[in-house]
Amino acid sequence: MALEMLVQAVGITLLAPLLQGFIQWCKARLQNRRGPSPLQPYRNLFKLLAKDMVVAGTASWISFVTPFVCFGAAIAVAALLPVVSSGWGVSDLFLIVYLFGLSRFLLALAGLDSGNSFAGMGSSREMYLAVLVEPAFLLAIVATAGAVGTTELGRMVQHATAHSFTLPYVLAAGAFFIVVIAECGRIPVDNPDTHLELTMFQEATLIEYSGRQLALLLWSVYVRQLAMVVLFVELFFPWHWFDLIPSLFVWGMLKIFLVGFLLALTETSTAKMRLFRLPNFLAASGLLALLALVAR
Amino acid sequence: MNDLELDRLFFQMVIIFLTGCMSAVALWKSPRLANCVSHGLAAGGCALMFYLAGTVLAGGEAVLIFIGRWLHAGEVALRIDPLAAFFLLLLSVVGGAASIYAIGYTADHYSRRYAILPVLFNLFLLSTVFVFASSHAGAFLIAWELMTLTSLLLVVYEHEHAANVRAGFIYVVMTYTGTAFLMAGFFIMAAAAGDLSFEKFIAVSLTQPQRDLVFLLAFIGFGTKAGIIPLHVWLPKAHPAAPSHVSAILSGVMLKTAIYGMARFYLEFLGVGPTWWGVMVIGFGIVSALLGVLYALMETDIKRLLAYSSLENLGVVLLGVGAGMVFSSAGKPLLAGLAWAAALFHAFNHGIFKALLFLAAGAVVQATGTRDLEALGGLIRRMPYTAAAFFVGALAISSLPPLNGFISEWLTLQSLFFLPQALTGVSGKIAGALLFIALAMTAALVAACFVKVFGIAFLARARSRKAETAKEAPFTMTLPMLGLAGACLYFGLQPHSMLQAISRVLQPYIGIDTRGLFEVDRIGLMIQANHAEGVLSVTLLAGLLLIGCLAAAGLYYLRGKAVRVTAPIWACGRAATPRNQYSATGFSGPVRWSFRYVLRSQRQRIVDENENIYVGRKLAYHQSIRYIVDEAIYYPVQRWILRQARFMKRLQAGSVQLYVGYVLVVTIVVLAWSGRK
Repeated sequence: MALEMLVQAVGITLLAPLLQGFIQWCKARLQNRRGPSPLQPYRNLFKLLAKDMVVAGTASWISFVTPFVCFGAAIAVAALLPVVSSGWGVSDLFLIVYLFGLSRFLLALAGLDSGNSFAGMGSSREMYLAVLVEPAFLLAIVATAGAVGTTELGRMVQHATAHSFTLPYVLAAGAFFIVVIAECGRIPVDNPDTHLELTMFQEATLIEYSGRQLALLLWSVYVRQLAMVVLFVELFFPWHWFDLIPSLFVWGMLKIFLVGFLLALTETSTAKMRLFRLPNFLAASGLLALLALVAR
Repeated sequence: MNDLELDRLFFQMVIIFLTGCMSAVALWKSPRLANCVSHGLAAGGCALMFYLAGTVLAGGEAVLIFIGRWLHAGEVALRIDPLAAFFLLLLSVVGGAASIYAIGYTADHYSRRYAILPVLFNLFLLSTVFVFASSHAGAFLIAWELMTLTSLLLVVYEHEHAANVRAGFIYVVMTYTGTAFLMAGFFIMAAAAGDLSFEKFIAVSLTQPQRDLVFLLAFIGFGTKAGIIPLHVWLPKAHPAAPSHVSAILSGVMLKTAIYGMARFYLEFLGVGPTWWGVMVIGFGIVSALLGVLYALMETDIKRLLAYSSLENLGVVLLGVGAGMVFSSAGKPLLAGLAWAAALFHAFNHGIFKALLFLAAGAVVQATGTRDLEALGGLIRRMPYTAAAFFVGALAISSLPPLNGFISEWLTLQSLFFLPQALTGVSGKIAGALLFIALAMTAALVAACFVKVFGIAFLARARSRKAETAKEAPFTMTLPMLGLAGACLYFGLQPHSMLQAISRVLQPYIGIDTRGLFEVDRIGLMIQANHAEGVLSVTLLAGLLLIGCLAAAGLYYLRGKAVRVTAPIWACGRAATPRNQYSATGFSGPVRWSFRYVLRSQRQRIVDENENIYVGRKLAYHQSIRYIVDEAIYYPVQRWILRQARFMKRLQAGSVQLYVGYVLVVTIVVLAWSGRK
């Protein structure tokens, strides 16, 4: 089991930049641009990993350890996800949410560490966003899978497979998609393409990072994004036509990239929301989840 | 180890604490010596207590320490059962750390009245021991009052500040009101049992209204001590007022005496109650948790912030207690065991990390002379050990893996997750979901709050001259902090032994079953309760995190030696000053705005219109929040009392003639009365 887990972790980690590249590529196409190749994130990471770092003079060891711990937490999440059939029986929902919380906590601290006011703004907003997203995240999953009698994700996925596309799952899928958008820092919640003051969330906390540390952080952000998409796919789209293509792997990939396309589509078709509109947006997710709960 | 040896050990411990008092009195002329001897003895007493409590907890059997007949009080017994031993263990850990810390910390307080401080400290520890060890209503109440009294004197120790005296006053009023309720509860029990001994209270036959009444009386009585909102007003004032090593015990242990009391009443004396008991406890718990953390997040006084965060944590503990009661009444003994275990473990963990945070905050306050976050900053370089300890405490209190706070938060979340199994129907589902949202939101707010504290106080650059010149605390202070930080890590990675001990504590009580609840194997922790399961693989998690970090390190060095160049931060072309940094008030801004209907935030901006708009005007900015609970409940009560007082003032105007007149009138009335036939 341990070995398979590591293989899964490595696989997800290696795939994560591709999803990011794919989303960027889709976005470019949807905006009538040529856009960089989907492999561009790999090139970026590879290059950043060789670069020197410029470190803020005011930064302490918090800034130094943050990239390592964030990457470590991302690897842990990647290893724990219930991807292969029903997972390992140890992937607890709360554990995964709180592992995300760990990296968010450290990133926010790193933002305050340098004393850069933009990074501080990012930290403040990132923690504020967590206040809205974490409840919605838990609720969207618990609303449907609460009937299972465990928060073990593998068992939840099995339940989802048995009850796919029933009303509660359809409602909760909507709720969770909003959470995916927020957790991946995408429009309309956050804009990952800019460093503008108005859109500063996660990107702003990274502002003082460069070189290898930036590479590690970006990579862990990509892994987190892929993990959210995988969770979404596993819980809400557990179908495949084996008659057509008899491979679980291929179907998994197709679904992941389909969700990636959906993310790109929402990004091009909506505008960034004001910060103080976000509670309403996530309340919509909460309401959908509550409806799913009642419909169960 | 038999009872006889343990009771000798207990008396040795009592004698050590008393010697601690005496020696401070004897050595009052040389504060330095009094400090070392007295606090050293307190630490020794705590070490004995640790051994004693550990032995009882490991054995799982109650130990009778002392029994005696005394006047009409019946048999007065000191008995340490596993429940008491569990809380004594917490007291010994926190008390021991605080005693050692006090040696370094109080060295700043040397004065003529210094000797009072160690005397009170030893007495405070001792009376808390007796609160846990008494198994007699009278003895318990006496110990309870002694604990209140000694802690009160410690709160007002620095009576030069008017605010401290005021805090002490509010503390007295609130806590005696609470004790009155407690006494009433004990009287009802004693009247029914015909005895004051705790053993006779167990499953005493009361009518249902009587049981309801005792439940409510105990809830109000202990709730005042625990600082449940709306009975909390004294807590955020009194805890910061005390010297920091005392604050650590006040928040870490004294609040838990309330949880201990509730466990005694609800588990042992009253047994399984109707569902509304548990629902009510949960209701108060969630309100305390959410409001407590919101107020903590808005606070900029580091010690008051920690006090508010205690409200939040006690709220989370109450969620576990309430869920346990609900499960008991629904006939789900295993789930009840889970919920109670979550409550007890969280109480224990909170004791450790909150004590750690208070100790570290005390070191910061001593080094910088200010409690205001907006004046701190950059302490991570000036005080590296304190910063490291505070960092661990902040992670633990934000319930992040792999620290102890996460384990108890996880258990609490699990017990709330299974709540719909006891509260059936749509309303149960919705209530469960809403609790879930509220608890998840609380956890996120706590994380925001402690990012704020650590980030503003310890990171970036100093915001004031004092913070710039701060010096690291002496090793007597840093050592206990680091020890507590180690305990946070230990109970996060190895929660098994403590959870097994807790399940032994809970097993004897009616309506609870913990047999086979916690399965421990290689991968970690497993809960198993009929239709409820949960797996938490702590070891695996730690391993994965470690492997992940190593992989990151591998990638970091993948392409040769890493070169780090230091440069100043970018501040749009100007030289960045500490005033460019984010402030604590600014950090909590978005949350303040979102919760403005609860917090009633107000701000005041005064702009100097005379200056040039393009260069930048002088700006004064004032931000405040209003406390709705205080305004809704306490202010009207206060106004009512003042109105009555004004009325009474007319009777008692201070004129001697008037008083002579009163005496005359009374005499005449008495004469007339006695003369009637």
